[in-house]
Amino acid sequence: MAMAASSRLLWASRAAAYLRISTFPRAFSTGMCLSPSPPCRRGSYSTRFALLNSVPSFGFQDHLGDVVYVELPEVGISVSQGKNFGAVESVKATSDINSPVSGEVIEVNEKLSEEPGLVNASPYDKGWIIKVKLSDSGELSSLMDEEKYSKFCEEEDNH
Amino acid sequence: MSGGARRVLEAWRLGMVKYGDALQLQERLVADRKAGRVGDLVLSLQHPPTYTLGKRREKAERNLLAPEAELRALGAEIHRTERGGDVTFHGPRQAVLYPILSLRPLGLGARRYVEGLESTMIQIAALHGVTARPGDPGETGVWVGDRKIGAIGVRISSGFTWHGLAFNIDPDLGYFEHIVPCGIAGKGVTSLRREVRDGVELPGDEVIHDQLVRCLGRTLGFTDVEFRDDSECGDMIAAAAATQS
Repeated sequence: MAMAASSRLLWASRAAAYLRISTFPRAFSTGMCLSPSPPCRRGSYSTRFALLNSVPSFGFQDHLGDVVYVELPEVGISVSQGKNFGAVESVKATSDINSPVSGEVIEVNEKLSEEPGLVNASPYDKGWIIKVKLSDSGELSSLMDEEKYSKFCEEEDNH
Repeated sequence: MSGGARRVLEAWRLGMVKYGDALQLQERLVADRKAGRVGDLVLSLQHPPTYTLGKRREKAERNLLAPEAELRALGAEIHRTERGGDVTFHGPRQAVLYPILSLRPLGLGARRYVEGLESTMIQIAALHGVTARPGDPGETGVWVGDRKIGAIGVRISSGFTWHGLAFNIDPDLGYFEHIVPCGIAGKGVTSLRREVRDGVELPGDEVIHDQLVRCLGRTLGFTDVEFRDDSECGDMIAAAAATQS
């Protein structure tokens, strides 16, 4: 079990170094939830790179309808934990998105310009938003894990 | 929300404000709201003739049916915004409300907030004898039949709202002929004036603005609405500007 976990991490960081997001099978993908608040982490993650997806959080998916536009940052800019870096727009509303981590944007998902709906259709996979080279991997421990996050979403959904 | 607790919505009556100025003011006020320097408030105003173009530029420009020069010749301003949305028009006799609110303490998610804006416009239409409805799935705004009477464009930043709604009291609908409003082709635009029964007198715009504001307050769960007029707001706007720099 331990062996599998560490080789997963190794695999993830090697693949991340090649910036081949599409070769990540889902189980190995570094996954970081993006939500209006609060941020959380899911899955395993390398301690150097984070792949930010937009999860079906309250306000994004069913609630505000299909995403029709994603405002992406430029490659090379810095992001800071808790600070805004882009926006997700549906027919009804535009929501700013904040980064759960600090670091440098090394890649953005250009596909979202043509297919913003990927954020709805494939939030954990093709609908990833940006890839960040972490400046402080210590930040990861302050994020909610998936279980707490689901509970949080449930409570929010009642609004 | 605890029983008996007062929840106040401040309403600023600003008269006619240029789109760009209103945008700057909202940015300052959202920052103030986030910092707790102001409470929940709503800006109640109208714009001079203005076409706004969102970032999906290519698409938005296909939805401009006349060249920009022609639109400017009509006396309209063209404003490019940071948002994605398609082209839209704002002008005199169209009531614009920009609520600057913190959603979480109101117990509102984004969806219910947007529904609250739609409901407000529907209720005010009903007040004047007009039956309106929310848009079909995938369509925003408020409609009478297949004619759009009210538009919604909301921005949410970390749970704080800005932008808002625009409700057609009696704007010059000719301005809408030069665009495919919000990119929805084949559907017309209408106004309260067009839709009320013959012989129904509409009150002045200020009255309808106040009706919209009070209704918004009730719908979103506020207990009180406090109005501030242009002159008082001037001081607050200056104060907001001062703390910003």
